[in-house]
Amino acid sequence: MSVTDLAAEPMPAGLEPESIEGRSPWRLAWSRLVRDRVAIASLIVILLMVAAALAAPLFAALTGHSPTDQYRETGLTDQGIPVGPGAEFWLGTDSLGRDLFVRTVYGARISLLVGVVATLLATFAGVVIGLVAGYFGGIVDTILARAIDVVLSFPYLIFAMALVSVIGPSLVMTTLVIAFFSWASIARIVRGQTLAIKEKEYIEAARSLGASPMRIMFVDVLPNLVAPVIVLATLLVPTAIVFEATLSWLGLGVDVRIPSWGAMLAESQSFFRVAWWYLIFPAGALLLTTLAFNLLGDGVRDALDPRSERLFATRRKGKP
Amino acid sequence: MTPSERSRTVRTAVAITTAAVLVAGLAACGGGGGGGDGDEGPPRRGGTLKLVGAGDIDHMDPVSAYYTATGFLERAWTRQLFTYPASTDRNKAIQPTPDIATELPTRQNGGISADGKTYTIKLRDGVMWGTQQPREIVAEDFVRTFKRMANPVQPVGAPGYFASTLEGWQEYFDRYVKAFDEKNANAKEPTAKNLAAFQNDNDIEGVQAKDDKTLVFKLRNPATDFVNILATTFTTPSPVEYDRYVPDSAEFKQNTVSSGPYKITKYTAGKEIVLGRNTAWRQNTDPVRNAWVDQIQVTQGQDSDAAVQQQLESGSADLSWDLPVPTSSIPQLQSANDPNLGVYGGGISNPYLVFNYRSPNAGKAMSKLKVRQAINLAIDKVALGKVYGGSSLNTPLHNAIPPGNVGYKPINLYPTKGNQGDVNRCRQLLREAGYPNGLKLNAAYRNSGNHPRIAQSYAQDLKECGIQVTLSPVRQGDYYGTYLADARNATEGKWDITAPGWIPDWFGNNGRTVLQPLFDSGSCPPAGVNYGCYQSDRVDDLMDQALTAKSEDEAAGLWAQADRQIMEDAAIVPFQDQKTPLYHSSRVKNAIFLPHLNAYFDPTHVWLDGG
Repeated sequence: MSVTDLAAEPMPAGLEPESIEGRSPWRLAWSRLVRDRVAIASLIVILLMVAAALAAPLFAALTGHSPTDQYRETGLTDQGIPVGPGAEFWLGTDSLGRDLFVRTVYGARISLLVGVVATLLATFAGVVIGLVAGYFGGIVDTILARAIDVVLSFPYLIFAMALVSVIGPSLVMTTLVIAFFSWASIARIVRGQTLAIKEKEYIEAARSLGASPMRIMFVDVLPNLVAPVIVLATLLVPTAIVFEATLSWLGLGVDVRIPSWGAMLAESQSFFRVAWWYLIFPAGALLLTTLAFNLLGDGVRDALDPRSERLFATRRKGKP
Repeated sequence: MTPSERSRTVRTAVAITTAAVLVAGLAACGGGGGGGDGDEGPPRRGGTLKLVGAGDIDHMDPVSAYYTATGFLERAWTRQLFTYPASTDRNKAIQPTPDIATELPTRQNGGISADGKTYTIKLRDGVMWGTQQPREIVAEDFVRTFKRMANPVQPVGAPGYFASTLEGWQEYFDRYVKAFDEKNANAKEPTAKNLAAFQNDNDIEGVQAKDDKTLVFKLRNPATDFVNILATTFTTPSPVEYDRYVPDSAEFKQNTVSSGPYKITKYTAGKEIVLGRNTAWRQNTDPVRNAWVDQIQVTQGQDSDAAVQQQLESGSADLSWDLPVPTSSIPQLQSANDPNLGVYGGGISNPYLVFNYRSPNAGKAMSKLKVRQAINLAIDKVALGKVYGGSSLNTPLHNAIPPGNVGYKPINLYPTKGNQGDVNRCRQLLREAGYPNGLKLNAAYRNSGNHPRIAQSYAQDLKECGIQVTLSPVRQGDYYGTYLADARNATEGKWDITAPGWIPDWFGNNGRTVLQPLFDSGSCPPAGVNYGCYQSDRVDDLMDQALTAKSEDEAAGLWAQADRQIMEDAAIVPFQDQKTPLYHSSRVKNAIFLPHLNAYFDPTHVWLDGG
């Protein structure tokens, strides 16, 4: 899925070796990343998750259970209690007699899809707004910077709940809400960086040669921001996944029948005392995925700039 | 009742039934097992009975309060003319018994006139108000209550009961509303002073205090359930002090006057309610209540039923305030033979599927008999029962009237094998109705408790029959009062099917609180709780006859006929007759279930063992 592309893609782009000895910054970063065993392990976990999500219909065919069908006779006791892991239901069933394994695998689709798409949207919006604010300065900057502050200081969960309950929950809605509350942190970093970069001599040079602001922003400034943006985006994915899970947990996510980790966790609440599998598997999948993205994000940051700790330390603390 | 009167009488019924029905969410859970009140030694006086739960009471003013949770507290701090006794024998527990009244009125003792339209009720001596200087409760205090019911600020929870029975109550209500209606040129401000002045200057024809100890009620028609109506907590007497406050205002809530063994000593909205002893109460004047515990304390703000259950099991709390025993805990408790679990009640159709006759969707599919019948055949009632704890708590139901209520006569017009639904016959009926390729319907469900699972369960049944259901969540708090009460949601087809619940206000002779609110053609939203707006002249007629029938037996036959007609028209899909599992901490003794409150023990009979 595109998440992994995001982390890995720029590498081949920067690969072109200029000489035998010379190694581009991208290449250096890559070699540092490869040496980071935690990051590589995370990458493998993410790739496995993506593969599982893509192969979800295969698992459904293999078990013979669709993610939404309720097996009331075999998947529930007479008293309506989920049945545990076994031959028919590998990871047990949920409170309606649905196959928990198939649902967890399908849940990965929602989580990754929402997580990645929301991150892409937020990154795009954040970069554009940050660039424009930083480059133009003045009144434009004042307005945009204040907008960023406003979004950052929003009680986002309450607002998201209100929004979703007015418009009604859906996949698109959930993704947009998450993107809306995520772009500002990227925009703020990009704006700050742009402010610094635009004072550089080569920008002065470009300007004196008559380059348009568009060209300067996207050709001269943007490439210098790629590294921090990649790191931010990688770290934004797990936040978005958790955000989606939270909305689903509150019953504000996608259609109640479609499996999503957050919704499954919510459903398991009053059952976990008698059906541990109901809580453990969706929670484990969620934990594993977000942890992998976080660790990968850390690894990418270290690889791109070994001295970048100070730059990102404050931002990470500030994340909701 | 004539149709026009009918629509008036249920005008404010929205609020009422909202409350009555909201309770269904509470009662909705499953389980099974023993739980009894056997030899527990001599009662012990003292201690604090601790309840934990989620929300607040609906109203403090007994005239408007309607939640069963509120009714539980009212059992402790208020008294009525009649009430229901604490008895483990269900048949006794649903029969009204004298409380402040000296005896049940009959034709023999002169309490009911020969034409059945005048009730004369004598008040017991020595029943005191818990005021600074205790004074006796007099007939005028009851008259004040019936007047306060009509106040336009926070009127009685169930106006229909009084408007349809008491001579002149509806007219009084209309006059009262008009006098304070802002659109009216010389309308008055609804201040406490003005409201009291109106009440003291205007009388209700059908409610008179003959002397301090004698109340006379004049009825419009004979009503065999009038004593049941007088046993609702709405009729709690009102002391003259209540004239100082706007009904159910913040001031009122801090200044309630008790007639029962306890009084409200602390009320913090949404947080805590504490009841302490009312020293003016005398055991020898109260044939119904005891008062073993010293205090009753309700702590709110606890949303998880599993967390509450854990507290009860560990003993840090005694009873659940408004959350059910989690379905998932029941098998465990049952297999461990936990003596603190009990299964009670029954006679409740909860939830049931209602069809929105007014929906324009899918070529007005919901107004087509065959589509409704097809859905009746599709539903797997065993699967729905599993959501509420399985067959030991839930019996598949095929009537609009659940067993244990007047007029119940078992029928099953849409039988399926094992009550698990019949996809083929459903498909066939859909084809006959002109939907060979199925159809699409909208369903609204409450997004809390067991409701999302109920919705997904019937949605799967319908999917197998070729009906695609779009499920829209509605907040529990908005469901009855805002969503279903708004007729536009029905006429615009926001929902085609939905599963509300209903708990009758009393059992036994109770057609007035079972069929009539749900199926009377004048009771469509926004006026009432006939959510699907089912309209049948025959059913209306049968119900009117039943309400004015001379005897309970005659009424029963008429209710049964109405029930059959409703099911022939497939106005709803009844799911199950539901029992209520209740749990209490191990130190709670003598826990006696009160059927009319459905999910509560009698707080005045409970005593606490040990420290």
